[in-house]
Amino acid sequence: MVSSNFPPLDNEGAVAQAAAPSQFHKRPRKNMAWFGLLPFLAFLTLFLLIPALSVFSEAVRGANGKFTLSSLREGISGQNLEAFKFSVKFSAGAALVGVVFGTLLAYAAVVTQRPKWLRSLVASFSGVAANMGGLTLAFAFVSLLGRQGVLTKLLNALGWDLYAGNFSLGEIPGLITVYSYFNIPLMVLVTIPAIDGLKSSWREACANLGGTTWTYWRRIGLPVLAPSLMGGFLLLFTNSFSAFATARVLTDNSKIVPLRIGFFLGGDLSVGEDSIGYALAAWMIIVMAICMWFYWLLRRRAEKWQS
Amino acid sequence: MTSITFNGIRKTFGTTVALESLDLELQPGELVTLLGPSGCGKTTALRIAAGFEVADAGVVSLSHRDITRTPAHQRNMGMVFQSYSLFPNLTVAQNVEFGLRNRKIEKVKRLTRVGEMLELVQLDDLGKRYPHQLSGGQQQRVALARALAVQPDVLLLDEPLSALDAKVRSTLRDEIRRIQTELHITTLFVTHDQEEALAISDRIGVMSNGQLEQLGTPEDIYLRPTSPFVARFIGSINELPNANGGGQILVRPEDLRISSDEDELEMRGTTTRVTFQGPVTIISVRVDVVDLLVNVHAASGSILTHVGDRVSLAVAPGRGIVEAA
Amino acid sequence: MKRVIGRSGTKVVILVSSIFFALPLLAMMRFAFQNMGVFDLRWSNVFEKWTFGIVTQPFHDQYFTESLYLSGKIAIGTAALTLGMLIPTAIWVHLRVPKARVLVEFLTVLPYVIPAIALVAGIVVIKPHARWFLNSDLSLIPFYTVLALPFTYRAIDSGLRALDLRTLVDASRNLGAGWIRTMTRVIIPNIRSAVVSATFLTVAVALGEFTIANVLLKPTFPPFINEYRMREPRSGYALAVLSLLFTVLVFVFLSIALRSPSTKSRQTSTKSREMP
Repeated sequence: MVSSNFPPLDNEGAVAQAAAPSQFHKRPRKNMAWFGLLPFLAFLTLFLLIPALSVFSEAVRGANGKFTLSSLREGISGQNLEAFKFSVKFSAGAALVGVVFGTLLAYAAVVTQRPKWLRSLVASFSGVAANMGGLTLAFAFVSLLGRQGVLTKLLNALGWDLYAGNFSLGEIPGLITVYSYFNIPLMVLVTIPAIDGLKSSWREACANLGGTTWTYWRRIGLPVLAPSLMGGFLLLFTNSFSAFATARVLTDNSKIVPLRIGFFLGGDLSVGEDSIGYALAAWMIIVMAICMWFYWLLRRRAEKWQS
Repeated sequence: MTSITFNGIRKTFGTTVALESLDLELQPGELVTLLGPSGCGKTTALRIAAGFEVADAGVVSLSHRDITRTPAHQRNMGMVFQSYSLFPNLTVAQNVEFGLRNRKIEKVKRLTRVGEMLELVQLDDLGKRYPHQLSGGQQQRVALARALAVQPDVLLLDEPLSALDAKVRSTLRDEIRRIQTELHITTLFVTHDQEEALAISDRIGVMSNGQLEQLGTPEDIYLRPTSPFVARFIGSINELPNANGGGQILVRPEDLRISSDEDELEMRGTTTRVTFQGPVTIISVRVDVVDLLVNVHAASGSILTHVGDRVSLAVAPGRGIVEAA
Repeated sequence: MKRVIGRSGTKVVILVSSIFFALPLLAMMRFAFQNMGVFDLRWSNVFEKWTFGIVTQPFHDQYFTESLYLSGKIAIGTAALTLGMLIPTAIWVHLRVPKARVLVEFLTVLPYVIPAIALVAGIVVIKPHARWFLNSDLSLIPFYTVLALPFTYRAIDSGLRALDLRTLVDASRNLGAGWIRTMTRVIIPNIRSAVVSATFLTVAVALGEFTIANVLLKPTFPPFINEYRMREPRSGYALAVLSLLFTVLVFVFLSIALRSPSTKSRQTSTKSREMP
């Protein structure tokens, strides 16, 4: 039941459907048909758009209720800037690790002929594990790599004190390790269809034209996969950047932007201006929007090539 | 000018025998088609020539040079695939250029060659397009240009027309033949479409169950099939019980003569259907319990019968082959 | 054909991944079910003192039932709202306003852009203006519906795509069925697997969501697990194992159910972003 995770972005089907008129669907009512979408649009406005816009309006509202950009400016300076830098760093790291290992695992699952069930096992497991972020995952890693973790103690017994070297599940290496647990499976789900899309005849055509295996990957395989891989990177990046629950259990590190927003909202980090939390949330939405925009563009390209 | 020879080629996949023991030689500049139902081994033979499969036994040679163990990318062969198989991330020109770059040919020469090739397949102005912007027929022309750009010793065509519309198919078929004759390139063509095979080939090898049933010119194959399988596989065929000696006689509809009942030819029956198709009229005649098809050419001025008429039939002299019981 | 990674490379990748994905789960199970401090752990006693009785301990906590009951209600409400709203909308888009397709698809992926933590920030802003609504614990339902939207709409949409919807509707109406009958007897049975997987996705989101419930201090199940784990570490972990097992079982059940030959419509992924 697992296939591509790209949000559906093509509209060719729409054109095809529009071109098939039917006597049961009369033309004059076409424009009225838009009203059928009203309940859905109203729902989204109330429960998604209004809250999102409120974040922005609150971010630009000064203490006296007047418009000001000072909170937004402060949202990306000083400690807040540090938090954004930290979050971008570990999210990019986690995304990169996820892309590399996710692609390798997906490739291994696709090319392995026997046992036959391996591929569906990897796909099904990925379906569950990609969903497994949050509390359970954090608990699992605390019991493995926390100060009292099994692996921590095992390594200790072998003479390697993990925590002597500043290791913490709330710092970059720790976060990348934990987030890989859902990022790698997510990448597997995203790339299996893309790897399936590599036609074996391309490889044969390449060999036939005098290209080696290396030529194939350098000039055909990787370029064809590239939009999917970059799209996967963006998806994993946004996924890591916005994760709250996992981080919340692992650490109190206020350099993690979602936790920082949570602390401001809960009044734990109040430093005079209430609106800093909203400014952070606003910047976060902006970062997410930029990533998703590129994701759409890449997806378009990938779909063209796969057709 | 290169010849390609298959000598005792055998190939099995698990327990299935794809090729029994294939012996086949393509003369320089010749277009030979391997024709047969799916699973007959024709594609395996082509893939062994290309180096995508390694034969279990036997030798493949190019102009008497053994290439059985040469890796695919070191054989100088051009191949066109059923699925076009253009590289989607490269433009048409870059696709055609691909093999030239692998051969480290300098840029100016490469570009000239790409231009020539695109002109050859009549796509000169589409060099900057991407494959997904082209129709199926155009994509297959590009694939042909790409395969020919490297001046291959042998051209391998793996059902190149099967994915195309009927109309495009016949135009491109003629064009492939034109280019092939023009370049005088040794070509191995694989198809399951007999009409295609008859139209394009110098010689046809009909295959079944991993074996070459008959190798000969299109006329040989159609008019003088050497085995019942070939006779049945190509065109339509009537099966008559053999009055003297048992077994059956296989006769093509156009090799049956039809006449009025009074003529008292060797067989007599009743017309059950008359289908007018323009140049020919197909008449269905029931003789005892078998239905026979007879083609009558409009020009032949033969009698026209109606459903229910009594008619008599005869096999044209020297036609039909006997299949032993 | 040669492969970029040889057969042994493939094996290494699979082996290393298996270890990486198994270890944390094994460690968590050890914590929950092995009654032995990590300091006393030796190779010789790895398999000693495993007890599973601890699983039932959380059941006696007074908040366990309450929070699970609340999360259950929210899950059912979310599933009902999702299906009730998305199925008609998706069908409507397919049949009557195909031009709106791109717009609707764009809107349904917006929750990627506005993640749970940003959404809850917005909810905090409007809270003073809508206390009558947001004070209720069930007010989480519409927001969870929003969070699940990218996955649920995708599931239903691709279910519909696999059908020749227009012909199906025309045929049904031609045979005298009204709109409601067409919906319930023709369309929905044909996208059954899509509906089932959309339901699973919503329920998974609703039962696992932590971010919004945590910030708004709603007593749902995930915040309960978190708080309970701090009080009772071992049985807290046992509870986490249990809820994971539950998810896996539901997933397996669904995969089997969806593989039945009667429902061949193509499935989308059950991927969701981290269940925050």
